[in-house]
Parts: sequence; C-alpha cells; structure tokens
Amino acid sequence: MNRICISIVAGLLIASCGKKEGELFKNPSSEQTGITFTNSLEESDALNILDYLYFYNGGGVAIGDINNDDLPDIFFSGNRVKNKLYLNKGDLTFEDISEKAGVEGKSDWNTGTVMADVNGDGLLDIYVCAVVGINGFEGYNELFINNGDNTFTESASKYGLDFDSYSSSAVFFDYDLDGDLDLYLLNHAVHTQESFGRVDLRYERNYETGDKLMRNDGDTFTEVSEDAGIFGGINGYGLGISVSDFNQDGYPDLYIGNDFHEDDYYYINNGDGTFTESLRDYFGHTSRFSMGSDVADINHDGLPDLLSLDMLPEDEIPLKSSEGDDNIQIQRLRVERFGYHYQFTRNMLYVNQPSGNYLETALLSGIAATDWSWSALFGDYDQDGEQDVFVSNGIPKRPNDLDYIRFVSNEQIQKKLDNTKLVDQQALNLMPSGAVNNAVFRGAEGLKFQNKSKEWITQDTLVSGATAYADLDNDGDLDLVTNNINTEATLYINKTNSKSNYLKLKLRFEGRNPFGIGSKVYSYHKGTLQFKELFPNRGFQSSSQPIVHFGYGQAQKVDSLKIVWPDKTHQMLRDVDVNQTLKVVKKDTKPFEYNKKLKTKPLFEEIDSNLGIDFEHKEDNHIDFNREKLIPYRVSDRGPAMALGDLNNDNKTDIFLGSSKFSPSKVYFQTDSSFIEQKFAEILKDSIREDITALINDFNGDGKNDLIIGAGGADFSGKARPLLNVLFVQKDSLFETVNLPELFDNTSTIKANDFDNDGDLDLFVGSHVVSSKFGEIPNSYLLENTENGFVVSEGNLFEKVGMVTDASWSDFDSDGKDDLILVGEWMQPKFFKNTSNGFQEVSLLEAEKTLNGLWRGIHPFDIDNDGDMDYLLGNWGTNSKFKADSNAPMQMYFSDFDENGTTETIVTTQKNGKQFPLLGLDELSSQIVSLRKTFVSYKDFAGKPIDALFEKSVLDEASILEVNELRSGYLENKDGKFNFVPFREELQVSPITAFVSHDFDGDGSEEVLVGGNYFGTTPFHGRFDSFPGALISSKNDIILGDDLGLDLTKKSVRHLHVLTVGESDYLLVTFNNEKSKMYKLLN
Amino acid sequence: MIRRIGLLLFLAVLVISCSQKKEDIVISPEDFHESVDRVTQVMIHDIFSPPVASRIFVYPNIAAYEILASQDNKYLSLANQVRELSPIPKPVDTTSLNYELAALVAHIDLNKRLIFSEERIETYRDSLYALWETKNRDQYEVSKKYGLEVAEHIAEWMNGDNYAQTRTMPKFTVDTDNPSRWQPTPPAYMAGIEPHWSKIRPFVIDSASQFKPTPPPPFSMDKDSDFYKEVQEVYDISNDITAKGDASEEVQIAQFWDCNPYVSVTRGHLMFATKKITPGAHWIGITKIASRKSNADLHKTVYAYTKASIAMADAFISCWDEKYRSNLIRPETLINEHIDENWEPILQTPPFPEYTSGHSVVSGAAAVALTDVFGDNFAFHDDTEVPYGLPVRSFPSFKAAADEAAISRMYGGIHYRAAVEIGVNQGRNLGKFVIDNLQMTQ
Repeated sequence: MNRICISIVAGLLIASCGKKEGELFKNPSSEQTGITFTNSLEESDALNILDYLYFYNGGGVAIGDINNDDLPDIFFSGNRVKNKLYLNKGDLTFEDISEKAGVEGKSDWNTGTVMADVNGDGLLDIYVCAVVGINGFEGYNELFINNGDNTFTESASKYGLDFDSYSSSAVFFDYDLDGDLDLYLLNHAVHTQESFGRVDLRYERNYETGDKLMRNDGDTFTEVSEDAGIFGGINGYGLGISVSDFNQDGYPDLYIGNDFHEDDYYYINNGDGTFTESLRDYFGHTSRFSMGSDVADINHDGLPDLLSLDMLPEDEIPLKSSEGDDNIQIQRLRVERFGYHYQFTRNMLYVNQPSGNYLETALLSGIAATDWSWSALFGDYDQDGEQDVFVSNGIPKRPNDLDYIRFVSNEQIQKKLDNTKLVDQQALNLMPSGAVNNAVFRGAEGLKFQNKSKEWITQDTLVSGATAYADLDNDGDLDLVTNNINTEATLYINKTNSKSNYLKLKLRFEGRNPFGIGSKVYSYHKGTLQFKELFPNRGFQSSSQPIVHFGYGQAQKVDSLKIVWPDKTHQMLRDVDVNQTLKVVKKDTKPFEYNKKLKTKPLFEEIDSNLGIDFEHKEDNHIDFNREKLIPYRVSDRGPAMALGDLNNDNKTDIFLGSSKFSPSKVYFQTDSSFIEQKFAEILKDSIREDITALINDFNGDGKNDLIIGAGGADFSGKARPLLNVLFVQKDSLFETVNLPELFDNTSTIKANDFDNDGDLDLFVGSHVVSSKFGEIPNSYLLENTENGFVVSEGNLFEKVGMVTDASWSDFDSDGKDDLILVGEWMQPKFFKNTSNGFQEVSLLEAEKTLNGLWRGIHPFDIDNDGDMDYLLGNWGTNSKFKADSNAPMQMYFSDFDENGTTETIVTTQKNGKQFPLLGLDELSSQIVSLRKTFVSYKDFAGKPIDALFEKSVLDEASILEVNELRSGYLENKDGKFNFVPFREELQVSPITAFVSHDFDGDGSEEVLVGGNYFGTTPFHGRFDSFPGALISSKNDIILGDDLGLDLTKKSVRHLHVLTVGESDYLLVTFNNEKSKMYKLLN
Repeated sequence: MIRRIGLLLFLAVLVISCSQKKEDIVISPEDFHESVDRVTQVMIHDIFSPPVASRIFVYPNIAAYEILASQDNKYLSLANQVRELSPIPKPVDTTSLNYELAALVAHIDLNKRLIFSEERIETYRDSLYALWETKNRDQYEVSKKYGLEVAEHIAEWMNGDNYAQTRTMPKFTVDTDNPSRWQPTPPAYMAGIEPHWSKIRPFVIDSASQFKPTPPPPFSMDKDSDFYKEVQEVYDISNDITAKGDASEEVQIAQFWDCNPYVSVTRGHLMFATKKITPGAHWIGITKIASRKSNADLHKTVYAYTKASIAMADAFISCWDEKYRSNLIRPETLINEHIDENWEPILQTPPFPEYTSGHSVVSGAAAVALTDVFGDNFAFHDDTEVPYGLPVRSFPSFKAAADEAAISRMYGGIHYRAAVEIGVNQGRNLGKFVIDNLQMTQ
C-alpha cells in the first residue's frame, strides 16, 4: 500500500514537473499571477450529475478593462464558490478585489458571465447568470453596475434583469440598432430526455427554461421575446450562443446551440425588431449535442463562418467506449415522425456562402472531433494571418460510457435510486474520467486546420470550460484564460510577441454603446481580406476583451482598414502600421451600403412552372443497413433513371424518368412550351423494377427512337425478373418490349456506342454490386447489336471488372476508334482500348499509381484547354469519416467472419499506422455475435485494430478491397498518359455524382456543371448535403453554384441535363427522393 | 512471493494426491439450483432479450436431463421426442461414472457456451472442479469427460436451430406509413428485437404458427371501435391505479411481473440501465421454489426445469411469430399521439410489437408445464424478485400466478386486453400440447 502511495506521488510529481511548456503558450503559476480562482465542485449525495444534468458545465469568465487603465481585468463566476474579480496590475500580476468590489455574488449556482457596458456610461459592468429554482438553488441573475471606483452596485432588479430561472449565458448586443445594448438571455431546459416530445413545444413559452430577448429601454429592460419571434419552450437546452451579422445586412443575427434532440435555432434579424428562425432554410444538418460556438471569417471572403462544438472523441478508446450516433431507424423516427432536423454527434464548421447557405466542412477541415468540448475561440494566435481555434475540453466523469450504461451502473445505481432517487458517490466513481486535454488548431491554407495541441500548449488533464481571450500583458498577441473545474484557472500567455506582426483595435463608438459592440472591421493587406466583428461574447459562458485583433505574419503595413459602425456608417484608414494598438474613434464617416452581391452574374433562374415536369422520385422503404448491417453506404439509392430523346418523332426532346421499386416510371412529351405526361401501358406495367439508368436512341435502326432501362436497386437477388434490363422499341406510337439477354445483375450504367463499327449501336452494361453481398464483385458486359438482337460479347473481358458506377466511350488514344473507360467503387479507373481483336485493358495512369476511389462518375472535358481530352472524375470527397490516401488506405474486409453462411463487410481506416474498424462493438456484434464472447466489455474492445479483433486465419480468408483516393478531380491527359489532379477543397465537401457540358456563360466554349451530395449513409457518417454544385470553365476557373443562382444544397443530385424547349435552354436536375427541378439558362 | 505461492501449490498437490479417499461426489438439487442461478445472473449482466434467454435456459437443462434419464428408469429420453435430437452418446467407461455429476458438468458447460461473459461461469465451474477433484479424482475425471461429451452432442444439435443464421438476418424495418404498425418507443426508441425468432427451430410444436392466435380487434382510431376502447381502457386503468398510488395492489402486480432485462434510464447525458430477470427466468425461479417446496430430488428437479423451459422456449417462438405478423403498435405510442402526450406507462414499454403479450403466453405455457409436474393447486410464496427490490407474493396455484402475470401487463400500461387474454390462452394451449406430446416419465 505504501509503495502504491509513493508511486502515485512520484507519478504526480513527474506529471506536474515534466510537463513541457507549449511552443506558443506558457502557463504562469498562480504564485506568479495571483490568480487562484478555482471552481471547486464536490459531488454529494444530494447534488450530482444525476440530479442536475448540467452539474459539470462549469462557471464563466469575462475579461475587460473595468477601470480604464488599458489593462484588461478578469472576472470569474463559479458554480458554488464566490465570484472573483482580479484587477490587472501589469506584468501579469493581478489583485483580487472581489470582496471590496462587491461582486462575489449571492446565488447558489452561477453559470456564465459577461462584461458589457449595460448602462452606456463608458464603464464595463458585469452580469452573472444563475440557475435558480431546481435542486434548492436560490438567488437570481446579478447585474453589477460599475461605479467607476473599482466598486460595483448590484442592480439587476432595477434594470429588470434579476431572473430566477435556468440561465446559462447572456449576450448584450444592439439587435434593433437603436444605439443601446439589449440582452439575449440563454436558458436551458431540464426535462430529462425520456421522450423526444413534440417539436412545437418550442412555441409554448416557459419562464424557467425559455430564452428571453430583453429590449433596453434606457433605465430598464422590457421583455419582447414573443413579439420578436424568439422561442422559449421547455425543450431548449441552450448551451451555445453566437451573435454575428451572418447574412451581412447590418443587423446582428443569432445562432443558438441546443443540446440533445432540440434543433439549434438560427435567428435571422428582420431589421424591424423581429427575428425569423430559419435553420432549415440554410443548414442541412447541425451538431447534435451542441455546446459552445464561435464565429470568424476563416476563408477571407468577408463572410462570418461558424463553428459549433459537440462531443465526438478522436481517440479510439473513448470513441469506441462511448455512446455514439443514433441508429438510422431512430434518426428516421426523430426526423420523419417527430419533425426534428438532422443532427449528428460531432463538431460542425459552417462556411458561409454568398447565397446564405453554408458549406459544412468540419471533417474536411480536421476539427470535427475534439471530445467533450465546451468553448471554441477563434483567434489568430500565431499572427500568421489565418484564424486559429482554441477548444476547451473535458468532463470529470463520462456519463455516456457504454460499460457504465450497460454493465456497471445497474448494481450500483439501482438500490440507491429505488430508495432515494439519488445516486451515491460510489456509483459516480465508477464512471471513467473524461479529463482530456484542451486543443488548439492552427488555421492552415484553405479550409483546413492543423492540430497543434501537442506543440502549442501543455498537455493537460484539466476540465476546462468557459474560455476568454485578451491581451493580458499588452504585448499585442492574444492570451487565453480558462475557468476549470476543481483546479485553478489557467492563463495561456501567448509567446508570439514580436515574431509576427499584429494590429489591435479599440473602438470608440458613440452614445450608449461606447465600446462599439457590433462594429465590423475589414482589413486588407497584400490583396488579402481579413474580416472581424466586435461581439465579445464568444465560446461558452464567457466574454472576451472587447478588442479587434489581426495578425499579419511578416507584412509591415496594412493597406487599408474599413471600420463599419453599428449605425451603418463607415470610415477608412489607409497605410496603417502594424504592431500597434489603434484607438479608433468614430469620425469622418460615410454611409455604408449593405447590398449582397453575388460574385458573378447569375446563369440560372428557377422557374415556377417547372415546365410541367411534376416528377417526384420517392425511394421505397428498403433500408440496406437493415439487411447488411455493416456496409459503408447504401447501394439501393442510385436511381432514378433519366433519359432525354425524341420519343414521338417530332424532333423535340422528350423525357423519360424511371422510378424506384413499385412506382411507375414517367414519360413526358414536349409540346410547344412545356411538357405533358404521356402514359404507355407497356412501360407502366413494369413498375416492380427499380430503374437506375436509361437511354433513348434508335437501337433497331428503324429511324425511330427506342428506350432501354437498366434495373438495379440491390433489393432483389438471384434470378429475380425485376433485375432484368429492358428494351422498349417504338412501334406505331406505342412501345413493345424486346427481350435483352437475361442478366440478373444490378445495373448501374448502360452506355451505347457502335464499337464494332457495323452501323448499329452496341452497349456496355456496367454492374455495381451483388445484392446482399456488398464487397463481392459483379459481372459487367458488352452487348453486341446483331440481327438477332443484343447478345453478350464473347470472351467477356468485363467479368468481375469491379463495382462499376459509370463508363465513358471515348477515343483516348486518338486512333479513330472509341475506347472505353470504366470507373467504380473500391477500384481505379480502367482503360480498355478498342483494337481489331476486341478490347484490351491498358494501363494509362501516370507513374503506375493506384487510384482506387469510390468513383461515382466520369465525364470527358478538356479542362486544361490543351486540345486533348481530360476526364473529370466524381469521387466521395474528403469531408467524411472515411479517410484514405496512398500511405494510409481505407480497407474493406469481405468474408463470412462468423461462418454462418452470410458474408460480412468490415470497413477500416488507418490511425497511427493501424487499421481500425469504423464501427463499434454494438454494430459489429449485431452481425458477428461471436465478438461479444471475445470482448465482454466495451473497454476490452475499444482501441483494438482489426488484427486484434480477429484471428489471423480469419482475416486471411477475407478478400480485402482498398481505397487510397477519396478526392474528386480530373485525369489530366499528358500525351496519352493520365495524371490525377484533385479539385480544390470546396468540391470535396460531398460526393460528386453528376456532370453536364454546355456553354452556360455564352462565351463560345463549353463549361461543365457538376452536382453532388449524398444521403445514403448512417447517422455515424451524417449527410453530405452542403455542396451547391459548381461550374468548371477550366482548371483554375471554378465557381460554386451558390454564386450562379443555382441551389443544389440539401438535395442529392443524380443527373444534370441541358435541353432546349422552344427558344430557350433549360437545365433539368434530377434528384434522388425529391422533385426534379428545371432552371432556365440565362445566356 | 511467487516462490511462496509455488510452495503452497506444491503442498496442496501433495495433500490432494496423498489423500486419495474414494468419497462419492453427491450432487444435490441445491447444486443444480446454484448452476441455474449462476447462469441467470450472467444473463442479467450480459443483457439477453427474453426470447434469447429462453434458449439459454433450455439447452443446458435438456443436456442434464438426458444424462439423468439415461440411467434412471423413471424418466424417458427426449431423443426423437423433441425436434432433431438424437440419443446422447453412451458412456465408454462406466466404472466410476457419476451420472449426476456428469449432468451438472454438461449443464455448466452449455451455460458457458450460451452466454457472453464466460469468465463468470468459468470461475464458478473451476471452484467446483477443484472441490470434486479433491473429493474423488477418478469419479470427477470420468464424469467430467462424459458430461462434456454429452454437452458437445447437445451443442451440435443446438447449433442447427437456426440461431446463428437469424443473427445476420435483416433488422426489423419500421413501417412509418401504416398507423397501426409498431413504432419504437421511449425513452431509448430501440429497434424491434428478434424479428426472426419464429425461424428458430421449435422443440415440440409443429411450427411457429401452430398456435397462431385469433387476430386482435381491427385497428381503428374511431372512438366507438373495439380497438380504440382497448386503448382507452389501458389509459383509464393506468390513471386509476396511478391515482391509487404505488402501494396499490395493481401497481404492485405490475412491478412484480415487470421482468424487463433492460430498463434504460436517461438523465441528460447520464444514461444507465436498471436490469431485472426475464419472464422466462421468473418462471425458472418459480420452478426452483416448487422443487424445493415439494422436496424434489435432483432428477425430478431437472425434469421440472426441463419441461418448464421447453414449454417456454416454444412459447416464445409462437408468441414472436405472432408479434411480427400482426406488428401492432404499442399503447404508449397511440396514447401519446391521440389521448395524452405526457402519459407514460407504469412499466417501460419493451422494444417489440404488442400482440400477443409475451409474458402472458410464456406464463400460460409455463404454468401448464409446472402443474403437470407438481400438480394443480400447488400454493407457493414467490420470492423470485426479492433481489430486485420487490416483495414476496403468494399464489394458490401456478395458473393463478400466470393469470396475474398476464393482467400485470395491462396494469403496467404496455398491453391491451386482447394481447393479455388471448395471449395467456395461446400459452395454455401450447403448454397443453407440449405436455401431451412429451413422454418424460414412465
């Protein structure tokens, strides 16, 4: 026992002494600084996480200069302990003046805090939130008005802000632009999540839990929540709040992050004193257990981007031993039956687009998983001109630990609960600790962030929550302060100093908003824009020093600074020296026009009539994951089929749209100015088939067009007739069925070409998967058009060629004969040369690189304008939990792991050199029960790579497929060899699935429009819904659809077609499980 | 330290090998109860759903029974009586064979195969093995060998029951369009469990659908319909007895027969489960009580367990066949949607369709089997649920207990009347068929 004690002590010593000081931040001790504030929190039988769900959310921190000596002072609120106010005495020393300042507070449970000049007298006041009315907590939200002599007078009731409710945060901002600061009070719900409850509970106001908007009327505040359109229900678990002029119209908007099943709220300020909650209009999905959030322009486009935190761990051990995302059926229930929005358990980074939509890029950006995260704080900590982000982390106990939930809790909790409804310390102690280190990410090029937690800061085991930044030592760089549970508050003192250049702005606005809250600053240097808004409420339960800070790397001059004041006026400063604190007073201003301009002229326009196309594709209820529980994505959702062509010999283009299982397909004939549905009994009767692909052409050489439909869907299997492809030939304005060879594969693509040069059209028929055996390679075929109809070409070169998704006939070797290129999933593009002796596979990828991807489409286009043909390739993208590159491929193991006659598919990705299954023990054992015997606890399973889960002999039996490229891009033709060049990041946010060539901008040369997005994944992966489409003119000229009047977000594109109706050209977009949409081309 | 342990082991071995007394190893009914209790505890820990739990009980019991019946003329082998079971191998060496010991060895071995946390069974088994080895090594070795041989024979038969195949069959797909269809229920909204249990090979009944019950009243939300009245009845009863309080007879009955192996509790981010034994395990507990009360010897005890567990295993197959046929929505979903959005049933709704009530069917079948073994009007005090904080309840007969178990599901707010009344009859008819078609005694 003694020995154990000694080693513990030794361990502690090593831990505390051996900590390496961070490269960017140092942590001075409390002896040096005098800051000893500790949010001490003891679980007791009467009060712990079982009684109060937010027991571990911590206190707040607010930083600001309360005595106008240019040294920022620090205020901490503690849950159970007294608040502390530390006066900054310079040189990073502080004096505790809490008691004489009169700010220690009276409430039993304090939460967030904010410094703001509430009464507009030029002095920062302090507001402290409290939770009152549960667990015996007494008190109220306190407002400490600054007397100007380092003392304060608590005046909450005088101002009408003495709420006794469940507050977590407060934000003072001028929402109605009348010159004073109003209050948004964020409250949290406590009703425990026994059932989801109605969505419309949010419309019924509840005093304790509902958020409140309080208008500043001079001497007092008036509640305007209801009239302003602010929700205040019992299900708003408000933890995160961000204020920003998201839509850049001059009026500040709000993003409220709600924990649990309640949706986040996105309040657009209407400018007339009201807000419109608009989450679904702009966000396809959100974080689920939303915590703190922050806003900054991360990509230099002058638009505020938003980071909302959640609690997904990156580390394999907590990841695989914690409760994760919902299963797909619960998600469907939550969304379809209860009406909640799509929510997934990970951080979300929303990159603002001119249209008001957001690209959600957290996975691509590398900041999706930061574990149990509270506060996100953007700032240019290394002053290189890019926004970095600090994330505070940790929870004393992980209450979502699966072993605890399933195995440990029972014995310990049950007795106690039955008797007292309380839980005892012993039971709490059995939960694993979640004291994970804080994280910091360096803003890298484009949309990427680089994890610098190990380099920039000390690796801690703190439980840090509220965090604020300030320049505490007035050396120009941003320092950080975290409020910790049960340890002293931490100061992160930035050591950038003179290594990089900065500019610090202190704004002086007028009237009752002297600090200029809500101002915007646009900084330009060397053609680079940096954009900041002055909203000090950031992160979580805290407010930062009210300054605007920019980093400039080695640049010496700022070309110009545009300061836009809250009253919609602006002033310009030119040739500003770096490395100074600039006090900017409002003067010589001019009006500022907020007018949202698209970067380019729109090329597309929605048309209400849709030209008579009323086709709405509806997927059937087949859920692939119910049958094959471990497959990485669905394969039954690749429809609908779509084909254009003249079907009634009037020289006008008609439309065929195929349907899912049990729904009839539709034929539309073009009339003078629109389309009219035409019903053909022969085609309608075939509704069991799931139509995946179709083409219209004259296949029998009678001068009239015929229709071929490729069937798939991976639902039917074996020799099921609905799997057969069909040919309808046109006879006397009716259609007749002609049999095609009986091939029972899941067809993905049919491409016609007279490859044998005999004057008729032959076919390539590509197959995607084998039903219920994902991972087995199906057969694809060449069908020769003969006198006896189509026959399978002899010596099939395309047997088991791969999981084909698309094909392109193209003369890639310029020998006058069309060759064939195939793409597919878990394979690389394959080139087949058309020779006099049939087709021959040739290797044309440069440097013999493997280019295995999850390819969805191929499209020929001379993207580099050098006269030879390049090929655009649609892939999965990198905004995904799939990770793959040439050094660390993603693998798929396909085998009958448990030897029960059914195959399983296990997908693994590489972490630290080892392949880990993406899925957890629950999912894997739902298909392979024997794992439950090998791993009787989640702890045993967590952190085990695949070769520790299965015997070598078992893995040796498996066939292994690999992917080493997930990016979409193009094959650049270099003298007949092809080199893969990836597209830029914005085109990697979603799978790319469709292409169409046309001269959209009327410049005389063709561009390619690409579409994408995909929803065929489980909630574990989320939804790829934020790609707006893009127009590719050349390799360096790519414009997102958002800028062109096109909105392809939140929908999953399958086909893009351009067609002419009357005098005009139109774009027809065919979506999966959605109405088809017609856009008019404006050129 | 290691050296000291080594020395002790050495001494122990010496003592054992020097004291080769030939004392008979006696296996008492209590020893068998202990083995049943052990596997029940592991089932609680590992969390097995009620149908799977019934399978875990039945195979080890049959193994033990077959060994005892092979040597006791009073009992007849189940070979060729239950589906696809062939006679167990005959022992090669009978000189020091202790059949009762072999029966317990086989029981423990199959228990271990059927659960997940093997270590928990192994610890118990190894302590027994050590004890037996000390007492009579020859008898122990020979009997263990035979017990394991029989266990292997039973395991081979067991592995052909389609259980492994049903593991990889499709998950249940919720039908969101049809308002009568089952929907996942709060708080965990778990997926429907064991949708393919009807494909498990039955023991005595001809097929899963042999005792297909009459359909429930046709679904209708018309207030005058029979179906709606049953929904309203669940709601009214629940309100009545909630008003009477936790001490009321009805609430006591509901709680007593809850038998939910996994009640999930959510407090914000904190989640945990309170776990109890399954309905099958409760009736296994009653079997123990009756065996003890009637001073049954080991053979009769194993006979009782075996007959009860066969009846229950078939009852689950029959009941689950109907559940996923009628696929009926639970009262909680309908009441929340149509009557009272804040209503919660007294018991947590289990994660599978409503009709018929599993507890009713299984209790009906088990009561018939136990009556067949112990006689009618066998009064007993049921203390099975005491470890789970519930009181003792007394019953004049097995049938009375089954009736109470059935009605408890209405009190608990998780079943309509039809599921309970038709369910208990479904179980009784099935139980009757099982006892009529099994010749277990001379």
